[in-house]
Amino acid sequence: MADVDIRAERERWVGTVFQEIELTVDPDRMLEWAVTAGETDPRFVDPTHPDFQASTAFPTHVNAARILPDDFPDFGTRGIDGGKSVEWHRPMRAGQTLRATVAIGDLYEKTGRSGTMVFIVNRMTFFDEQDRLVCIVDWRMIRSV
Amino acid sequence: MRIDEVELGDELPEERPDVSLETVRRFVKAAQMDFPRFTDHDAARAEGLPGAVIPGIMSQGQLAAMIHRWAPGSSILKIDTVFRTPMIVGTPVVCRGAVTGVNDDDTVEIDLTILSEESGATGVLGTAHVRLADS
Repeated sequence: MADVDIRAERERWVGTVFQEIELTVDPDRMLEWAVTAGETDPRFVDPTHPDFQASTAFPTHVNAARILPDDFPDFGTRGIDGGKSVEWHRPMRAGQTLRATVAIGDLYEKTGRSGTMVFIVNRMTFFDEQDRLVCIVDWRMIRSV
Repeated sequence: MRIDEVELGDELPEERPDVSLETVRRFVKAAQMDFPRFTDHDAARAEGLPGAVIPGIMSQGQLAAMIHRWAPGSSILKIDTVFRTPMIVGTPVVCRGAVTGVNDDDTVEIDLTILSEESGATGVLGTAHVRLADS
């Protein structure tokens, strides 16, 4: 890690799509997710509602086979989940077949009392059948080095 | 709720979501992340955790649900949460929110937290950017 130039690695990796997946939105799982997270809005918990859609955090559970590119630098094995964000552009509907790209969204470091930590943002971007942007999920992974 | 009904500093009604083992088990099955660290206290302790932990993405969903109850019909344009301290399954938590911005484009910014009622520790911090239904 001592030899890794974060700025150079950032330039190299940010925006690089290293995987693409396809998924079909399962209405039962969509509903169970919303109910168990405590949603009561009929848009999320009533499949007969004309605007039935996935609840806000639903796409955060989608996992790609690889979370980092194969030849991504090793920033240490001590990992912490730094949190997740979801940015919505249009609703996700039951039964839709979506395409998602997986990329490095950002790469940066912070130094504090406990030493240097590297933040790696895994960005999953979902598109609908018409290739319109549905949502963007960022997962911040922290490596303590 | 209309944008002119919202003021900077408004607090959302507190909520105490269901974080029972039974509900967490149902959630992780739906989320396809049925790992013992979320559903089995002994297995979680063996991993060095204080007990089975509430999945961070479930906490994010609970915060979103609180916003939707506060402002029915609203749309969360973005939600961002940071998981600070493990929240233990079966230990009561409280969700809180406060309006920190009322924007010209009829959206609001909300600061979010989830605290353990037992220890007072902050488990989750976050923000949301929300468009109100009548905007």
